[in-house]
Amino acid sequence: MEEEKSFSDICGGRLALRRRYYSPYCREFGLSSPRLSLRSLTAVTCAVWLVAYGLFTLCENSMILSAAIFITIIGLLGYLHFVKIDQETLLIIDSLGIQMTSSYASGKESTTFIEMDKVKDVIINEAIYMQKVIYYLCILLKDPGKPHEISQVVPVFQSAKPRLDCLIEVYRSCQEILAHQKATSTSP
Amino acid sequence: MVENSPLPLPERAIYGFALFLSSQFGFILYLVWAFIPESWLNSLGLTYWPQKYWAVALPDHLLIAVVIGYVLLFGINMMSTSPLNSIHTITDNYAKNQQWKNYQEDAIPALRDVPISEVNKMFFLEAPELNTQN
Repeated sequence: MEEEKSFSDICGGRLALRRRYYSPYCREFGLSSPRLSLRSLTAVTCAVWLVAYGLFTLCENSMILSAAIFITIIGLLGYLHFVKIDQETLLIIDSLGIQMTSSYASGKESTTFIEMDKVKDVIINEAIYMQKVIYYLCILLKDPGKPHEISQVVPVFQSAKPRLDCLIEVYRSCQEILAHQKATSTSP
Repeated sequence: MVENSPLPLPERAIYGFALFLSSQFGFILYLVWAFIPESWLNSLGLTYWPQKYWAVALPDHLLIAVVIGYVLLFGINMMSTSPLNSIHTITDNYAKNQQWKNYQEDAIPALRDVPISEVNKMFFLEAPELNTQN
């Protein structure tokens, strides 16, 4: 079963949440940000080249123009490969674990997997971020030796930053799976 | 001895007046040093003064320090905010070591720090009709 809904992030941009239910207790949530727009790309390129042309008229050194072209190309490639995240997915498999994937605009993907033994809970936390207070979803990890203490906090959807309505949907789905996992787990 | 209160007392009046006199004297001295030419002061016999450069430099330094202080305070605030993946946004030592009091009938429950999982369940799981405004 697959569903797609549209939400917004904390700055007002559009996000698309895609839910896929592979089986009753294995679900995947994918948040897609809008792709790099042609308008912003041309705006940044024009600004950089105008500044370089201004410097060129001051210094009469043509190396500045070639350097500006070089910087623009390298900057764009670096931004696409290291900064611009197009889609983030959260895959929860009951009794196995949670997997988070971020795919960048250049095609690079980075994945993190957390075993179900280490997962204490999935919560919506509020914290101060820059000059705002935002809600964000995070996974609380526990040490298997000390099951009542929180050892680490892992925030998810860090670059998409959806608002509370999107987070509540993901939270409810995750809580169903975690409740089922606690009910059926055999603790020694 | 009178207990601590902001009442006007004779000692406080004397301190205030002494401060007033000394600050006025310091200001007049600063003006004399800054404006009267070196030769006139030397002819009076007062020769050991700091360079007049400092009469302008010190107020300038003070002004720039105040402006930088605004930027610095803002920066220190941002640096000491816990990052989003920090455990300090969820709990701290006092909450971990709190004692649990037993529940008594017809009494106001004791104050305690509720764990975040319970708070989340109460807010987001049980009342779907309260969250449709987001």
